[in-house]
Amino acid sequence: MSFLDFSLLDHARNTRRLSELAGGDPVILQFFRGWWCPKEQAFFRKLVALQDEAEVAYCRMVSVSVDPPEVSAAFRAGLGARWTFLSDPERSVQEQLRLRETTDTVNHPYVPAVFTLFADLTVHRLYDGYWFWGRPTLEELRQDMRHITRAIRPDWEAPTP
Amino acid sequence: MSWCWLALVDAAAVSADAQARVYERDGSAAGWLAAWRRRHRPTRDARRIDARIVDPSGDGAWVSLVRPPEGVRLPFDDLAVQQARRAALAGRPFDGVSTLLRDASHFEGAITVARGAGAERRLADDPFCRVFRARILRVDGGLLGRVAPPCGPTIERYGSAQPWPWDRYAVS
Repeated sequence: MSFLDFSLLDHARNTRRLSELAGGDPVILQFFRGWWCPKEQAFFRKLVALQDEAEVAYCRMVSVSVDPPEVSAAFRAGLGARWTFLSDPERSVQEQLRLRETTDTVNHPYVPAVFTLFADLTVHRLYDGYWFWGRPTLEELRQDMRHITRAIRPDWEAPTP
Repeated sequence: MSWCWLALVDAAAVSADAQARVYERDGSAAGWLAAWRRRHRPTRDARRIDARIVDPSGDGAWVSLVRPPEGVRLPFDDLAVQQARRAALAGRPFDGVSTLLRDASHFEGAITVARGAGAERRLADDPFCRVFRARILRVDGGLLGRVAPPCGPTIERYGSAQPWPWDRYAVS
């Protein structure tokens, strides 16, 4: 199954398409409720730790919420995140993906979810994070990135003399 | 091509694919900044940059041009250069950024592009000016475009001959 190739504004108000953000690399695509949710804050601390490996491993990370770009930029800066945050305040992509958290009738946020994607946006794995323990551990994300990277890099096995 | 050559030269370069006049902060002339899309190096001082920041239809801009002192060579993987790349990803994006390269293993500076209110002042926060001294210059239109920031969090090059932040292996 291929993921919807949506376009949204990033934290700096640039219009970004998911396929363009993926480039030729595996992607960790995260949908989150908002900066105000303690579960999200706890999960982001894990992702921020993972970026120290991801930054040298040729993969991409993208986080999406209904927060406007200015709020996303502030949250991103506060976290120390160095990947792209996308904003869907109109909830247009949320509706297309059917990822609205129906039990929150105040904020109408994304239901927490993580998708690991191949570079062509083929879905490798989905994690439903409505309950915190449904979210991927860092080890699961590492395994997913290993699986995808092995599949897409023709030189996964190092050339030998 | 993923990269092109960039050099600050004294006079307009007939062979350049794009170029623009350059001024110091006090308004005095500082020469021309020129770009060439070709394989062989056009001038001794030319360095490879991410070709995406070159746009002959681009507006004027302020730039931070970071170059090492004469005779100094720093490995591209030096911790200070790694940290500058992290800081470039973490901060508010500029209109364009590219490291400067001549070979596959050395950091030979960077160019960072800014426009709009406070652009000149913002460039004082160019992360690469913490590695080597920067010249803040004003560049006329006709050379530098605006490029969306890298997705992140990758700080590595996609092949050692590629300037960062060029971000993919497949090169057309």
